[in-house]
Amino acid sequence: MDRTDKGKVTAMTSKAPWKLIFGLALAVVLDTATQITWKSAVSDVPDQLTPTLTAQAMLHQPFFLLVGLLMGGQFLNWMTVLDHADLSYAHAITSLSYVTVATLSVLYLGETLAPLQTLGIVLILTGVWFVGKSGRVGTLVKAGAR
Amino acid sequence: MTPTHLGILLAITATVIEGFGQVFLKKAALARSGKGSWRGLGLCFFAVEALVYTWSLRYLDVSTAFPLGSLSFVTVTLLSRGLLRESVDRTRWVGVLLILAGSSLVAMHA
Repeated sequence: MDRTDKGKVTAMTSKAPWKLIFGLALAVVLDTATQITWKSAVSDVPDQLTPTLTAQAMLHQPFFLLVGLLMGGQFLNWMTVLDHADLSYAHAITSLSYVTVATLSVLYLGETLAPLQTLGIVLILTGVWFVGKSGRVGTLVKAGAR
Repeated sequence: MTPTHLGILLAITATVIEGFGQVFLKKAALARSGKGSWRGLGLCFFAVEALVYTWSLRYLDVSTAFPLGSLSFVTVTLLSRGLLRESVDRTRWVGVLLILAGSSLVAMHA
């Protein structure tokens, strides 16, 4: 982020802080809901997964339709968030979903997380922060799903 | 190959596909003509990515597969450097190395 961009973020966030905070929080919530629903949906499809069966399941299972709706909502919310903040800033904040997804997958899906995996997630968060701090972020366009 | 290894391979493949999708969207933004083709190609890659990621979730916990998705930062950086000739500063390389290290820890203990 260069000086001009940084100034732009500060100016934009001071104009609409609550709207931006709400949008960022919603982005984390939608990201988390998408991933947890996606995993639940996959658990409901047959064991012998092939690309064709996967595509058919994605088109017909209600859980997958919900994943699609959540991704659509995330896309619309993301466009609003980017109206109020730089991509690097918003992307770094919403990487908190790595923490919320891991936490909810343990709490609600009964998954286990080894201590070194937790350390791995901390390293990833730090890495995302460094990427967000770097000079050029134009190509990192969030595609909705992740 | 164990199911877990297959899942990890699929999750990594999804991030490579996403990297190409991002590059194609950037090509669309840069193109003077044929923007629609690049954009369409990019969206096709995202659809395939969703398919491959869904497949990987069959074999992996979401607490493993989702953090591995952060490797898309790595693939986008490498592809934008290689295919788009973008400059990448030292801070971003540090971030990329940290993401690689973190993803390796997550994958090794899956």
